[in-house]
Amino acid sequence: MALKKARDIQKSKPKEERRSLKRNFQGLINQLNDPDIQIRRWAARELAGFEQAVEPLCRRLQKEQVLSVQEAILNSLLTIGGEEVVKNLIPFLRSDDAGLRNKVIEVLQALPEAVAPYIEKLLRDPDSDVRIFAVDILQVLPHAQVPEWLLQVIMTDNHVNVVAAALDRLAEVGTPEMIPALLEVKKRFANEPYIAFAVDTVIERTKSEA
Amino acid sequence: MSQIKISDTDFERFRDYFYRKTGIYFGNSKRYFVDKRLIERIKATGHSNFRSYFTFMRFQASGKEFQELVNLMTVNETYFFREEYQLKCMVESVLPEIVQRKKEDLIRIWSIPCSTGEEPYSIAIYILEYWPLIDEVDVEIVASDIDTTVLEKSKQGIYNSRSVQYLPREILRKYFKQLSGGRYLIDQDLREAIDFRQINICDFEDTKKMRDFDLIFCRNLLIYFDDVSRRKAAEAFYDSLNPGGIIFLGHSESMSRITSLFKVRKFPQAIVYQKPLTTWR
Repeated sequence: MALKKARDIQKSKPKEERRSLKRNFQGLINQLNDPDIQIRRWAARELAGFEQAVEPLCRRLQKEQVLSVQEAILNSLLTIGGEEVVKNLIPFLRSDDAGLRNKVIEVLQALPEAVAPYIEKLLRDPDSDVRIFAVDILQVLPHAQVPEWLLQVIMTDNHVNVVAAALDRLAEVGTPEMIPALLEVKKRFANEPYIAFAVDTVIERTKSEA
Repeated sequence: MSQIKISDTDFERFRDYFYRKTGIYFGNSKRYFVDKRLIERIKATGHSNFRSYFTFMRFQASGKEFQELVNLMTVNETYFFREEYQLKCMVESVLPEIVQRKKEDLIRIWSIPCSTGEEPYSIAIYILEYWPLIDEVDVEIVASDIDTTVLEKSKQGIYNSRSVQYLPREILRKYFKQLSGGRYLIDQDLREAIDFRQINICDFEDTKKMRDFDLIFCRNLLIYFDDVSRRKAAEAFYDSLNPGGIIFLGHSESMSRITSLFKVRKFPQAIVYQKPLTTWR
């Protein structure tokens, strides 16, 4: 046997394509609940082309257990983008599924303009875990307000883990102007050695660039 | 403008950010290389110091400046038998495993982006030379790129001496004909055996035709993509591969940073990414 030229491209058409299923919006929505994983995944990918698919995709995401379908849904939501996607994804920050939650955070990080109006509210959420996830979103969020939001957290939040997470992010984006606020945090959490250490690290970094 | 300097802290700050975003870690030995390129971009963007440039780059919504840096920090050059340890891994570990698992005697390989053809031809030569089972199994190689100019060059198969400099002499003699001006023409049978196609990896319509592959080489492409495109590409590769199919990425790239769809496989020669054999979870 040997190297041979690839088959006719048409023969490589996916079997999902060859099926005589309706490729319209409603047909794809129905396929999102198909028992066949491949059909669900394929439908999720196709729905990236429909802005009105945000809610049905998020509804499916709530019960979807198969990783490859979850990924397809989240990537389609990312492709659609916009505030509607952010609004529908934020509830997943309360999910018990850590893997799904982390993926949602990644999607939100990639939608900086759409997520920005929701950040302050998330940072004031009564649940400290949600506030930590909001700080996680800020970690690589390309948005000019990130340092300001992080500063607000260290100045106002009373939960040690939330503040620690914010300090960790500030090590990268902190500025010399934040030093007084940082020293204040150290005082507020005088009994928390980790906070003192984290504050010193941030100050060291910001000072040396002043 | 006074002379721009990158302090130790600046370097660490940049290094941490760049690592988190790309997985590429610059040790202290790369300090000069990094500083030089950072200063180049600081000047090009009209900034006067690292701090203002870093803030601009870090928070720019479009991510364009970050991408400029990626392009500068990752030197890319294509030539025959580049990253040969991966080709060794293919013939010594991956192909034998795939053959054992497959029922049909056909293996399909996709090289993307194929650029001017050095990679798919290297794959073909390596298989013909170093994989004895080629006598019993058929192999199809599809090579694609978004750029039709490089695809045309691939089909022509003419290379300069720099492109072939790492090929063993006997391979060069066997598969190339020397032309004037230090150029080399690759064997006609090889040119005819590889299927060159224009594919945009981020275009669903393009990629959904690319199915039933056992092996994908996608080296040093994803590093140049933004997060959204990278995820789209990963999705496309997942659908293009048969269960158990393998992806080779560039040495500084990691699929685990993009998606959890693939499993990491460590072979003696290289680390690769594998589509699970079962689709459940």
